[in-house]
Parts: sequence; C-alpha cells; structure tokens
Amino acid sequence: MLNNKKDNLSDKELVSGSRKLGFLNNQISYLILVIVIIAVVASVINPNFLTLRNFLNVMQQISILGILTMCMSLLMISGGLDISIGNMAGLIAIIFARMLLAGISIFLGVIVALALGIFLGFINGVIIAKSKVTPLIITLGMSYVFLGIALIVGGGRPQTITGQFSFLGEAKIGGVVPVSIVIFFVIFLFAFFLRKYTKYGRRLNAIGGNSQAAFLSGINVDWHVISIYTLSGLIVGFTSLILVSRLGMVRADSGSDYALQALAAAIIGGITFEGGRGSLVGAFFGVVLLGFIYNAMNIIGVNSYVQTIVLGAIIVVATVISQLGVGRLRR
Amino acid sequence: MENQSSEKQIILEVKNIYMEFPGVKALTDFSFNLYNGEVHALIGENGAGKSTFIKVLSGAKIPNSGEIIIGREKHNSLTPHQARRLGIQTVYQEDILVPSITAAENIFLGVESSNSKKAFINYKQIFTEAKELAKLIGIKLKVDEIYERLSPSDQQFVKILKALAQKPKVLILDEPTQAFNKNDIGLVIEMVKKISQEGVGVIYIAHDLEEIIEVADRVTVLRDGVKINTHDKKTDIFDPNSLAKEMIGRSVDLFYKKKESSVGDYVFEVQGLKLTPKSTPVSFKVREGEILGVAGLKGSGRSEIARAIFGALRKYEGKIFYKGKDITPNSPIQAVRSGIALLTESKKIDGLFMGQPVSHNITAVGLDNIGRFFLNLNKEKRYSGDFVKKLNIKTPSLEREVKFLSGGNQQKVVIAKWLFKGINVLIVDEPTHGIDVNAKTEVYELFTELAASGKSIIMISSEMPELISLSDRIIVVRNFEISRELLKDEINEENILSGFMGGK
Ligand SMILES: Nc1ncnc2c1ncn2[C@@H]1O[C@H](COP(=O)(O)OP(=O)(O)OP(=O)(O)O)[C@@H](O)[C@H]1O
Ligand SMILES: [Mg+2]
Repeated sequence: MLNNKKDNLSDKELVSGSRKLGFLNNQISYLILVIVIIAVVASVINPNFLTLRNFLNVMQQISILGILTMCMSLLMISGGLDISIGNMAGLIAIIFARMLLAGISIFLGVIVALALGIFLGFINGVIIAKSKVTPLIITLGMSYVFLGIALIVGGGRPQTITGQFSFLGEAKIGGVVPVSIVIFFVIFLFAFFLRKYTKYGRRLNAIGGNSQAAFLSGINVDWHVISIYTLSGLIVGFTSLILVSRLGMVRADSGSDYALQALAAAIIGGITFEGGRGSLVGAFFGVVLLGFIYNAMNIIGVNSYVQTIVLGAIIVVATVISQLGVGRLRR
Repeated sequence: MENQSSEKQIILEVKNIYMEFPGVKALTDFSFNLYNGEVHALIGENGAGKSTFIKVLSGAKIPNSGEIIIGREKHNSLTPHQARRLGIQTVYQEDILVPSITAAENIFLGVESSNSKKAFINYKQIFTEAKELAKLIGIKLKVDEIYERLSPSDQQFVKILKALAQKPKVLILDEPTQAFNKNDIGLVIEMVKKISQEGVGVIYIAHDLEEIIEVADRVTVLRDGVKINTHDKKTDIFDPNSLAKEMIGRSVDLFYKKKESSVGDYVFEVQGLKLTPKSTPVSFKVREGEILGVAGLKGSGRSEIARAIFGALRKYEGKIFYKGKDITPNSPIQAVRSGIALLTESKKIDGLFMGQPVSHNITAVGLDNIGRFFLNLNKEKRYSGDFVKKLNIKTPSLEREVKFLSGGNQQKVVIAKWLFKGINVLIVDEPTHGIDVNAKTEVYELFTELAASGKSIIMISSEMPELISLSDRIIVVRNFEISRELLKDEINEENILSGFMGGK
C-alpha cells in the first residue's frame, strides 16, 4: 500500500489523505449527536421542547453567551484567554444605562460603549502582550477591577431603563426571528472566516501553536495579541448593548457568569488551552449544546441549584474528554 | 569482547513486528536481534521507522502485531514499566533532565538503591557513585556541576549515565550525537564501545555512516519500515556507499560535489557587531550568490551571532547592510521584511507549529504569497504540495500535523517554510542535523540552486564535509569573534581546525 511506494504520493492523496483523523470533525459529530439525544429525550418528556418557538427561544437565550464564546474561542486559539469579558460586559452595560438615564442620546451612548469595549480590551491585550504573564491571572484580576468600577458607577444599585432601548434584545425580524440570534450568527460567521480564511487568523493560530516559532517567523506577536484582545473588547462592548436591551435593568454583576460559561462552551466545542487548535464550528455547537441542556432542564423542571452542579460537571467532563482525545493521538 | 570467555548470547529478539499509523506503515514484518556485548546500529532514511521501532522496545508504542522475546519472556507488546524491568533503557534525543540540579542527582533520580529509601540525599555518596560510573566507561565529567551548565556533550553523557545507573541489559541510543562536533562524537563512540564491552547490548541510531561504521558490530538497514539487510563486521566489510544504497534503494553520491556558479559583488554586510560592551566587534561581508561557511566549536558564539544579526537576540551595537542600505533589524519582524531568514538550531522549538498541518507550517512565513488579506486555500495546497514533492517530505497528507512526522521530515518542513517565503539572505544553523544522507544531498542541491539564483547563504555547521564541499569561503568563529577567514583555495580540514584553536 502506501508504505512500499517509494516516491511519496499523488496530489490527490496529499490533499485528501487522512482527513478522517481530524479529531475536531469527530468532536463536532459527537456534539451534534448529543444535541439530538437531548432533544429527543426532552421532547418525549415534554412535547413543547421540539417546537420552532422553543428552538428560537433557546437560541435567543444563548445568543449573548454565544457571542462571548466566539470572543473566548478566538482568544484561546491565539494562546490567550479572557476571564474578564463577563464583568467587562457588565461594566459597559452599567455605564451605558447610566448615560441613557442621564439623558444622553442613544447614538452617543452606543459610540461610548463600543469605544469603551475597545479600550478595555486593548488594556488587557497590552498588559498580557508586554508582561508575558499568563492571561488567566491578568484577566482574573481585571475581572475584579471591572466589577468594582461597575459597582461604583452604579452605586451598587440596579439601573433600570425599561423600554428606552429594547431593539437589540427584543425585536424580531419578520416578527419571528429575534435580532440577537441574527447577530450571534453574523459574529459566528465573522469569527469563522477570520480564523480560516484570513492571514490575520492564520497568524493568530500560529501564535497560539508556538509563539516562539511565530516570533522567529517574523510575525508581530505583540501586535496580534493586543489586536485580538481589542477586537474581543469591541465585540464585548456590542454584547453589553444586547445585555442592557434584553434585561432592561442591569446590575454590576449582570455579566459575571458569562466568562466561565463561554470558556466551558469553547472547551466543550473542542477548543483547547494549548492554543492553535479547535474550530469555531465546534465552539458554536458547544454553545448550542449548553443552551439545550439548560433549556431541557428548565422544561423538565430541574431545580436551579442542580442546574449549577450540572454545568460544573459538564465543564469537567468535557475537558477530560478533550484531553483524553489529544492524549490518545499522542501515543 | 574478544577476551570475554562466554559466548555471545541473544539477549533480545523481535519477530515480525507490524506497526501502522493512519496512512503510514511504519514497520512491516520487522525482525531483529541483539547479542550481549555488541553495538547493533540501525540505519535508514528519515521516516524509515527507526524511532518507531525503538518506541516499541521501550514500551512507548504498542505494535499491531509481532513478538518481543527477552530472556525467557515473550511479549506481544511492552509497557514502559515492563521494558525497564526487563533491563531496557532508552536515551531519546529530546529527553530532558532536570536543569537546575547537579549531574549526579540527575543520574540517580529514580534509581532504586539503598539510598532512595532515605528522605535526605547523601550528596557525598551519590557524587562518588556517579564518578565511579563515569570512570567505568572512561569519561571525565564534573558530576557536581549543575546540569544546565554542562556542555551539550556532557549533558548527553549525563543522560547516558542515567540510563546506565539502572544497570540495563539493553541500552538504546536514538541519535546520541546529533548536534555534536567531531571531537565529541569520538568521545561518544569510545564510551559506547566501553559500555558494550561490559556486556551490555547497545542499539545505536545515527545518520552519519562514518560514525556508524566506526561504532557498530552489526548494522541493520531499514527502508520504508522493511528490513533490507543486516551486516556483521566479522563477515562483511562495511562500506558507506553500499550501505547508503541499501538505505535509499539506489546509489547516491556521498560526497556532494557542488556545481560551481559565479559569485557576484558584496551585498550583505555585518559591521561592528557587538553582543556586549566588552566583546570584540564582528564584521564580515557576503557576496551575491555566495555560500559563506561559519565554522566553530559549540559554544563559540556562532549561533548567538546569527540570532543577533536576525534581531532575535539583543545586541549592544552593530549595523547590518543589504545592498548598501542600512537594514539593521531590531526584531525578526524587520529582518524577515528585509528578506533575511534564520533557520535556527532547535527547529522543533523555534521553527515548527507542531499541532498544525504540514501545509500551514510551510506557508507560515510566506502568507503574503497566498493572499493579500484573505487566504487562497487552493493556492496554499498547491504550493505546499509542490514543496512536499520537491523536498521529498514524507507525509501521508498535507493536513497531517507536523508532530506526527519523523524528525528529519520535520526538519525539511522548516526549510520549506523559508524557501516558500522567498528571501535574499539565508542564515542556516546546522541545516542538516538529523537528516539522512539522501535528504542532505537534496538540501545541498537546494542551497546551491539558491546561491546560483543570486541569494546569499550563511551556513553555520559543525560538519566538515558539508563546510568544505559547499562553502565558497569560510569564517571560523572562536570566543565570539572571527578568528580566521579561509578563501576558497585555503579551505581544508586542517585550516579549519587550526582556526578553532585560534591559529591564524
Ligand atoms: N504518532 C504517529 N502518528 C502517525 N504517524 C507517525 C507517528 N509516529 C511516527 N509516524 C510515522 O511513521 C514513520 C516512521 O517514523 P519514525 O519516527 O520511526 O522515523 P525515523 O526512522 O526515526 O526517522 P528520522 O530519521 O527522521 O528520525 C514516519 O512516516 C512517521 O511520519
Ligand atoms: Mg527518529
């Protein structure tokens, strides 16, 4: 077979070769399988589960998490991580709400929110690129900084702007498809194309895979690191607008849970801490799976404390599985 | 061994091993045996399956089928623990010991002895024991020195001593002399011979046929996972040409004869390069189409100078010019932009994205060639496929992650990466380490071609034949300064060696 053929391979073999090996593709099919199983089981227990309405409902519920998962995935692929995106979203949301309450125009408010996102992401990126300290520690610290500032800005009280800014969170295109779902899809496609089809994405991938080799290949590592955190910040700024719009009332910690959940979703989707690996399609299905599990638990009537335990357990199991997968290939 | 009364016995036998990876048959019906007290060398092209075989013996890989017989025990596969219990010790090239503790501590780390039961280390005792062990195999080693401060060859000795401390019956050395200069290779060979005289069976892998011929009692040739032949020193004369022919399947010229091409004007210049305020400035020029050899011993500063030129290592002062223009790079980013490339010595750490496909690795530096902003993935496939063919990189597909390629093929991927970028000045540091005789010739041809097309090549190398046959001119580096320059007609081994010593 292949083996005794001395002189390498034909073009076709070279290109198609062992595509089967791709652990990622496997991971995605597993995810879809699990999603289907959950859907079947849940709809047997409660027929309402498998309706278009409920499906759109789930997608709307996960849209914010989904967008943040795309940020997290892009960061992880480039060897980074940002635990502060949740509280960053909360902080920007509070500031935005305060501005609306102070009578500042929505237009100006949106500009400030986006600019703030860029700024905070940039700060994270600069500290991480220049200090070379592990991003986990830096962004964990920044997460508390953001939370603290949000508490000060909001005076520790919830900010209610019900009705003033509801388009992003509530509006439905054609009266059916919520805008936030569309935004989630657009950002997913954006991240997917950025990663796969641009030089920028390829370089992020290289940095995540081996930053020393990337540096010696003449890739501007610092610039890429800073820019991807900044881009992520911009998206977080935008997400915070959806958050305000959805909730109508924001607290300093409104975004707190998102960071870890986004991390979990990315890992479930096959993105690894190693960097340079995993696919955004996987991360997408990771989010959908998380959303389905939550929704199924709600519909079945699982108590919310138990739901928290389940989320934690899923993170552990998913990480272990992805680690085992990598390990098996190594041997 | 001649003076040993006992007859040679087979201590290890392997029968009909098959080992398959997705898309690759790494070993096919491979049988092999080892006597006590012999050095049995294993040779073959990159990707022939040498390392795979060794991993089967050390328990790191499980073969699809076959038998491993040691003493009275028969196994279908081994676990690392079993292998150790049966007295098989393996020294991998990429093994890493604990850098911050002494050589002696490293040697006895994890050794079962009366000592290991105690909570405290008896330094005196382990130093003495380590010294005795070293003496036994005829090497001098500062056993109380911190590991990371030892020279590369001494570090290698420590790895081997560590294996010996376990009192193995079988000692496996996978490319133990990679990155060594001739002197040190001689030391390793002597040591290995001593070890085998103690009755240990040694399996030895290397690409240098001269070295193999010197060290081995028997040589087994592997090609594409299949055993071609086993030669015995007693009945056969080892001949490099015929060994190479068996490895590759056709005859090759072991002594590369460079096609002469014309050399142009000086284009690249390093002016007054100082790494520290106190160091002597280094200045040299390279012509268009010239291959400038850089000779020097390990630790002479060759690699550091190269890194500094490339902007990867901070320099104190100095300027770099290309075609009269000051291009002094402060970082690799600028260097690459001005068309300078550096292939460093440790390709795996500095040059490869292990978890990523072959094609992505090849295009990593030259992404500009396959798109302005968006990537043209079809072009990427085509171009990287061309390089795979041109450099004869053995991989079942372009999408195979580089970490699954054999050592030598990984090396070729790094070279392809820079060639794809297209460059003016190529600085290579030990470009043919770990690659087989055939691939070496291919690399030499590439360099010659590049030079003929007007590129300048600066080639740091420890291999005399390579330096002598390829260089248009040689500078010898010693103690971070240029100790000697040899023009084409002065290039010979003697002159280079005298440069090492500081002779003019
Ligand atoms: N874990 C793995 N997964 C898939 N293929 C592998 C794996 N390890 C080795 N191979 C393949 O098996 C073949 C034999 O590789 P091996 O490392 O044994 O070669 P080698 O003779 O040691 O070569 P070199 O001289 O380059 O070190 C190669 O084609 C390699 O790509
Ligand atoms: Mg090998």
